[in-house]
Amino acid sequence: MEIQSQPLDQEEMGGLIGLCIDAATKNSESVEKWRRQRRTLERMPTHLGEVVLQRLLSRKLVYPSLLEIFQHCVGSINLRGENLVDAEWMAYLGAYRYLHSINVSGCRGINNSSLWALTGMDTLKEVDISRCSKLTDAGIVHLLSISKLEKLFVSQTGLTEKGIIQLSSLRKLSVLDLGGLPVTDLALSSLQVLTKLEYLDIWGSKISDGGAAVLKMFSKLNFLNVAWTNVTKVPHLPNLTCLNMSNCTIHSIFEGLADREEGPHLRKLLLSGATLSDINDALLHVEPRHIFFLNVSQSTLQDFEFLGNMTALEHLDLSFTRIRDNNISPILLLGESLRYLNLSNTRLTSTGLGLLVGNLPHIESLLLTHTGVDDSALSYISTMESLKVLDLSNTNIKGLHYLVGHSPDQILTLVELQNLKHLERLDLEETQIRDEAVLPLFGMLGLKSLSLKSDFLTDISLHASSSLVNLKFLGIRGAVLTDAGLQTFNPPPMLEILDLRDCWLVTADVLLAFCERHPRIVVKHEQYQRPVQDLYAFGNFSATGASKAMQLRSKKTKTSCGVGRESFADERLRYTREELLELEFSPWSRALPSNSGAVMPKM
Amino acid sequence: MKKEEMVTLISAEGFEFVIDKKAAMVSQTIRNMLTSPGSFAESREGKVTFPEISTAILEKICQYFYWSLQYASGKETEFHIEPEMTLELMMAANYLHT
Repeated sequence: MEIQSQPLDQEEMGGLIGLCIDAATKNSESVEKWRRQRRTLERMPTHLGEVVLQRLLSRKLVYPSLLEIFQHCVGSINLRGENLVDAEWMAYLGAYRYLHSINVSGCRGINNSSLWALTGMDTLKEVDISRCSKLTDAGIVHLLSISKLEKLFVSQTGLTEKGIIQLSSLRKLSVLDLGGLPVTDLALSSLQVLTKLEYLDIWGSKISDGGAAVLKMFSKLNFLNVAWTNVTKVPHLPNLTCLNMSNCTIHSIFEGLADREEGPHLRKLLLSGATLSDINDALLHVEPRHIFFLNVSQSTLQDFEFLGNMTALEHLDLSFTRIRDNNISPILLLGESLRYLNLSNTRLTSTGLGLLVGNLPHIESLLLTHTGVDDSALSYISTMESLKVLDLSNTNIKGLHYLVGHSPDQILTLVELQNLKHLERLDLEETQIRDEAVLPLFGMLGLKSLSLKSDFLTDISLHASSSLVNLKFLGIRGAVLTDAGLQTFNPPPMLEILDLRDCWLVTADVLLAFCERHPRIVVKHEQYQRPVQDLYAFGNFSATGASKAMQLRSKKTKTSCGVGRESFADERLRYTREELLELEFSPWSRALPSNSGAVMPKM
Repeated sequence: MKKEEMVTLISAEGFEFVIDKKAAMVSQTIRNMLTSPGSFAESREGKVTFPEISTAILEKICQYFYWSLQYASGKETEFHIEPEMTLELMMAANYLHT
């Protein structure tokens, strides 16, 4: 949902304002200190009121009656996925004077009567109630009185054809998301009166080609999603710029168009998983020179010649297609404009990649995971100097190349990547690389994210990563890291996340000690992460906790683990790794309370 | 200290805070008032009145200006804000672009 209003970026509030917000939302005691300053709250600009409220929400400090104090200074509220939200919350929100946008998507506590509070709120312009599974036609009736509503998201609710037809009274709607609802041809034709519609999402609906013909009436439509439907023909829509027909069988797009040179043009086309008998026929009426975004992943395409005409293409996703070394040549014609190229999960090998050398001068992202490329591809890739993101995971790359036969002479092939001065993200997971092969990477100081996963990596690689001064994410998974190695590890200065999953030798105590020494770094590991998740489960917290919350909780975790450590420290040794992984998901391991002093089921 | 290097900030109640110009410039709003090429009375006389900001809040803001300079020069201390004044201070900071 790209046009939905973005949640406020709280991190951007710097300076004194940021300090004030931190101090105001520190804990429930600080809220008590200011919550009675009603006159101040009434004068507060909405952008500040919204940030304070949103921050309180993320810290789980909001309870229904607290909502009342924000009724003058909040215009937009995002409660997405908050399971506590129910009719009581909505009753307080219904009293907000200037509320123009409300998002309660995925709130499981919302039912039909909860929406009653919104009846007749003439300030509201945007309502998102998608994925509220208890909502049915009876609930949507409450929204019909909001005459100024412009944006409505009701995807994946319990609405039926009858409820959808009623939406036709909301004449000001420009955005309507009916994804995953049983929209029938009849329902769609009754919505024809919504002539202001610019955005219509009816994926997974019951409409057929007959219903799709009605779409012509929405002359202002610029976004249309009919993925997972039986639609095979989309009529000409003069203002359409983005079309999603993923997982459809496609016969024609824009049939009936006299002159394809006319008007605004289709720029974004998503045909992932589509069945295309003849792509040239299907796209006959689409002007190829204006398309800049194309996703044909998992489609049945055999012939890729049509790509040659799409000279403005910037984003091309060909993953899981039948593209291979001998039919990749049309991509060469795109060259100049291409920024993103996804060739993962194809039969491409280094030979095919070699053909692209010198033809992709501005390429920034190249994804080659699950392809047949090997070390010889690295020299080709090194010529793509504008690369920022490179995914080589699950490939045949070893990082070493033996010169002749079985001679002991070998070259470190990853040295080639040092040529990529702009590279920020590199993924080499699930490859056969060893410590000595990885070493050249630690000279690439621009790297911000590095993902490695290999059974052959050891503490040597971990320690070498200290040199990457800009690194924010480091993953060394499945490696033979030791406690001693982690204890002496001096992490890169900017590091935020350290992913050590599947490093089976590292023990929980050492991980906790590491987290205590480096409170800014979030560590991911089976031994460390689980207690945190348990805390969430028992505290009624949503699973969407941010990394910061995780850090906050790490101390609690420590105290609960600290009790009786000796009694279970050796439990791990009794089980094999496979058994332990099974235990991780067993019900009893979650059933133990984490805060009652009982010992956590450690693995 | 020369007179030109100081500015006077006046609160709603009429209290005057004389502080370094350099410190006051931490606020983008004050910086604009003092440096704009036109002849703002503020830039000539080095006096700025804030009828909307109470004395207690203005004092805290002056403290913040100096703390901010220190922080920028590498002295990392904590700037404590009493929860009672967070809302008022936040709104003043918003006005001053600080």
